[in-house]
Amino acid sequence: MKPESSSLQSGQVARRLCALLILGAFAALWPLQRAINREREKLPPTAENLYFTSGHLLRRLSLGYNGLLADLYWTRAVQYYGRRRLAHAAHYPLLGNLLRIATDLDPHLLIAYRFGEIFLAEKSPEGAGEPEAALQLVRRGIVANPSYWRLWEDLGFIYYWDLKDYPMAARAFETGSERPGAYIWMKAMAAAVAARGGELSTSRLLWTEIYQTAQGKDVRASAVAHLIALDAAQQLSQLNQLVERYRQATGHWPRSFEDMITAGYLTSVPKDPTGVPYVLTPQGKVTLGPHSKVELSLLP
Amino acid sequence: MISRIKTIALHTYKESVREKVLYNLVAFALLLIGAAVLFGSISLGISQMFLVNLGLSSISVFGLLMAIFIGIGLVSKEIERRTIYNILSKPVARFEFIIGKYLGLLLTLTINTAIMTVGFYAALFYIQRHLVLADWVPLQCIYFLLLEFAIVVGVALFFSCLSTPILSATFAFCVYVIGNFLSDIRGFGQESGSATLQKVTIVVSYLLPNFSNFETISRTAHGLPSPPYLVTANTCYALLYVTILVSASVLIFETREFR
Repeated sequence: MKPESSSLQSGQVARRLCALLILGAFAALWPLQRAINREREKLPPTAENLYFTSGHLLRRLSLGYNGLLADLYWTRAVQYYGRRRLAHAAHYPLLGNLLRIATDLDPHLLIAYRFGEIFLAEKSPEGAGEPEAALQLVRRGIVANPSYWRLWEDLGFIYYWDLKDYPMAARAFETGSERPGAYIWMKAMAAAVAARGGELSTSRLLWTEIYQTAQGKDVRASAVAHLIALDAAQQLSQLNQLVERYRQATGHWPRSFEDMITAGYLTSVPKDPTGVPYVLTPQGKVTLGPHSKVELSLLP
Repeated sequence: MISRIKTIALHTYKESVREKVLYNLVAFALLLIGAAVLFGSISLGISQMFLVNLGLSSISVFGLLMAIFIGIGLVSKEIERRTIYNILSKPVARFEFIIGKYLGLLLTLTINTAIMTVGFYAALFYIQRHLVLADWVPLQCIYFLLLEFAIVVGVALFFSCLSTPILSATFAFCVYVIGNFLSDIRGFGQESGSATLQKVTIVVSYLLPNFSNFETISRTAHGLPSPPYLVTANTCYALLYVTILVSASVLIFETREFR
């Protein structure tokens, strides 16, 4: 055999051997990795950590890629929330920080404010049960995106549902309704929430404004119905107070409105804003007449 | 003169292609399509925004890496391989060589970016199933990225005339990083309370290339275009800075002796 052909043959053998080694190594890697994975799953879970807690610092270090980093942090927040919710975890300790970092990196990442506040405000175990943190997040969103009215809507809902602070909720809805592009129902929400909070005068003021500024017929009709209901509610409250005073003076409930007219408490049979007389029950309670068109159910 | 510069530029471009630098495009395409599909399923409401952020950031990162790592070898590699003697023994002026080299790499980057832009729009179309007028806002950002690459190539070329490839890469990378922190450096000077330090930081911040001028990726992802004034101002800034860097490179190269 010539030396050249022998070196050619040995080269071929080396190549084949290398190819076999590569294939063999890959084939061995597969079960080995699976075994490592199985072993690692047995290790006790370590607490999740945030290596960077300052979004502003990360923004500086991002060399202009802060938008991409914000997306990644937002995705991490979504994954973290989903994972803990599926595990019925009672606490979400990193959620607030993840959302803060995402929104520090990109203050215009509206979705992080809008969904993030839901994740934070929801009661445990569906959410973090941290309405104050949700409030802070949305407030920061409003500062960064002052013309975006939807964040005011979210703020109003946190006050309404989670904090039961109706005057603040009404104020948030009303402020949001003044932002460009805000839907007319923001005013309606403000009015409805104000009524719920017992602020009937605020509610009347807002419904009057809705009536005066609304473009659509339906919205105006709804505003009229609400105003009528508010008037009726106020009249019913006053009439029931008069009936109570009558009872305190005479020791019994009036049998009819005529009794009250005779006693000087009323000058005529009272009628609701749609012109239908009110009804006085034997138990001394004034209610709407059976044919009344007033929709008290519109009020909270 | 122009034909000689053109020849060198085309040769530089062909050399880059021969060195398979355009393989990064395959990585880019896979990254974009893979991420677009993945993020659609694991995130919430940002699939399109993520694609824009990732696409533009990738164009930027790939471009910057190419600008630095090819740029640093533009001159030093010719010296190392001793091909510089061949070139300079021909009727080619030294400044023609430098300008040709610079334009050649810029051409490579422009073609690379153009192909990546097509890939980016293909991925965007895949996600949205249509393209509307607002989807062309990223083109403005890509233009800014090209301006940024033009300066980075200039920086790399400058150091390539001055030092070894490893040191050139380190210096060029440092200049890029510092160029992203210039407003902080200026702020640091103002907060220090020292008048001298304040002056020094102001001088440094105007002397070094300010890469944050071209930072529009995040805004673009929200569909916000930059005002026309900024487009003009950034173009002028890049042109001026490139003029400075290429002129400085020519100056150094003209005085250099080859033995």
